[in-house]
Amino acid sequence: MTRPWPVIAAMFLALAGLSAVAGYEMAPPRPAQWREIAWPFPRDGWPAGRAFHCGVAECGADVEVYLRPKLGFCNCDSGVADDDEVDRVSDVDMISPRFVPLKAGDVVDIAEMRGRIRAYDLDGKRTAVGIAVSHRCDLMAVAAQGKGDTANVQREVLALLGSQQIVKWMTAAVQGR
Amino acid sequence: MGGRATAVCCAFIFVLLANAASAQQQKIGDPPEASNMRLVGTSDLQARSAYQPTIHHQGDRWIAYIGHHGGTDDIPDPVNPMTGKPEPNGTSIVDVTDPAHPKYLRHIPGQEGKYESGGAQMVRICDGKDLPKGDRNAVYMLRTFGSEAHEIWNVADPANPVLVTRIGGLKDTHKNFWECDTGIAFLVSGAPDWRTRRMTQIYDLSDPAHPVKIRDFGLPGQEPGATGAVPTELHGPISTGPKGNRVYFGYGTDKGGFLQIVDRDKLLNGPKEPTPDNLKFPEIARMPLSAMNGAHTVFPMPGMPIAEFAHDKDGKSRDIVMIVDEAIQNECGEARQMVWFADVTTEARPMLISSYTVPEAWGAFCERGGRFGSHSSNESMAPVYYKRLAFIAFFNAGVRALDIRDPYHPKEVGYFIPSITAATDKRCVTIDGKDRCKVAIQTNNVETDARGYIYAVDRANTGLHILELTGAARAAAGLQ
Repeated sequence: MTRPWPVIAAMFLALAGLSAVAGYEMAPPRPAQWREIAWPFPRDGWPAGRAFHCGVAECGADVEVYLRPKLGFCNCDSGVADDDEVDRVSDVDMISPRFVPLKAGDVVDIAEMRGRIRAYDLDGKRTAVGIAVSHRCDLMAVAAQGKGDTANVQREVLALLGSQQIVKWMTAAVQGR
Repeated sequence: MGGRATAVCCAFIFVLLANAASAQQQKIGDPPEASNMRLVGTSDLQARSAYQPTIHHQGDRWIAYIGHHGGTDDIPDPVNPMTGKPEPNGTSIVDVTDPAHPKYLRHIPGQEGKYESGGAQMVRICDGKDLPKGDRNAVYMLRTFGSEAHEIWNVADPANPVLVTRIGGLKDTHKNFWECDTGIAFLVSGAPDWRTRRMTQIYDLSDPAHPVKIRDFGLPGQEPGATGAVPTELHGPISTGPKGNRVYFGYGTDKGGFLQIVDRDKLLNGPKEPTPDNLKFPEIARMPLSAMNGAHTVFPMPGMPIAEFAHDKDGKSRDIVMIVDEAIQNECGEARQMVWFADVTTEARPMLISSYTVPEAWGAFCERGGRFGSHSSNESMAPVYYKRLAFIAFFNAGVRALDIRDPYHPKEVGYFIPSITAATDKRCVTIDGKDRCKVAIQTNNVETDARGYIYAVDRANTGLHILELTGAARAAAGLQ
């Protein structure tokens, strides 16, 4: 006859493990921890910008954001007027030249600059978000990609763009202050 | 002691450098800077920001038609001294028969709006007698009306123009081309349903009173309903007509530009539905520039004899396209925009063969204020200069005259940087959140007439400068 305590201990350990996994999966993601990464794209007409990554644990999915100023690339009076403008200027084409809008975009305000935000499907597995906001004749172009729920990717991206550090950088890059 | 001497030396060098920079800054009353070019006459153009000039030999007169950008923040609608009323910038009509004494005839107001958002920037002229179905007594002016329309006016009496027709409903316009012998017009437009601000709408304007649409044209990806990346927008085309059977399209401004060579016959008579295949059908070749340069003007010069190749069994003459980028940032806030020469003799494999820029150090141009870099070239194909000399508008470096007889080795032979006046508008950059402004000439466009006069116009409201060549530049052109 075998002694019962090793079996009981094993059961406790298994249950604890399962609970931990379940708890991990059901818990809301921790506040996003964005890590700056190297600009991942080859040189094009605009100087490289800044890129950030947020992992599954913090953002609920792997999300990457790329942002850079495009000085002198905007209609000085009308700004970012329509979704076609977002398609053209937001840099989503750097992630993939094939992107399909999921729906019409929306007006967005970031760092006291107005523009538009639009979500795209890249390949059936990944979501992209394009944002273009303007100040006078200059733009801040933002492209992001992530797996999973589009609304979640968009929410995390906007949270990053609304952070004090990024607002300060965007304001300096586009408005020189 | 040593430290003090170093400090004195540093201060001395700093003062010297500061003086050198400020010495380049233009001041009202300074003479123009020139080499082998001379000022003949001027017109202030009512202190309106000027874009495209077109000079037309009209009967026994020479008339300059000059397009304008919109007004400025300070003066949105300058007063027309001839009417006493404020008018949105439009088109200036100036009699330049006597180039030493240009006579301002008429201002036709343009679209309300400031800078790029208003005015009537572009203008082309055709005689009614040349157009297949035109009124023989008419002279037609095709102009843009801000971003919303193209207009045709009868300017047979240039002091009293009459509107003939209007093609509207657009989201943008730009540098058109109009073949006077066929009436075919390549209108740079923003069709509302296309994904780009600027593409081509081709019209038959052989009867200017009754425009007939032929087709819309652009790059695959720009057409309605497309998804994915959107190619660079059009800047302007130049056609060689039915005989040359080519249309050269320049795309981009200061970024991602390229030259597109198109079979004109296939473009006009091929399938017209804007599908990707139909848009590709007339294209012969596409030559990308660096992503850091755009293509404002693509000026074809087919069949140029190249002296260096005269004894070669093949390739003695070459088909050349001159490509001019447009600088858009003040005080060198971008990659240098300049001039490129492409050999397109083997059309499917066009190749850049040479380039030209004004050396910045010659005039500390990055510190003078405003834009420094190229914008446009003359587009007249009159024999006086065609395939021999080209004139480039270089913003604060004025007009540059290039000897292009050997396009593999273009050479500057003259220049003219006009003086600023009280009307010259400031140009600003933002530093620490505040505007820092300077005043400098901003030669935006240049055109020539068949007599050999050179017409430079200023984006910063300084007006029109009529020039002529002297010295070695005059000799290079073969002028007496």
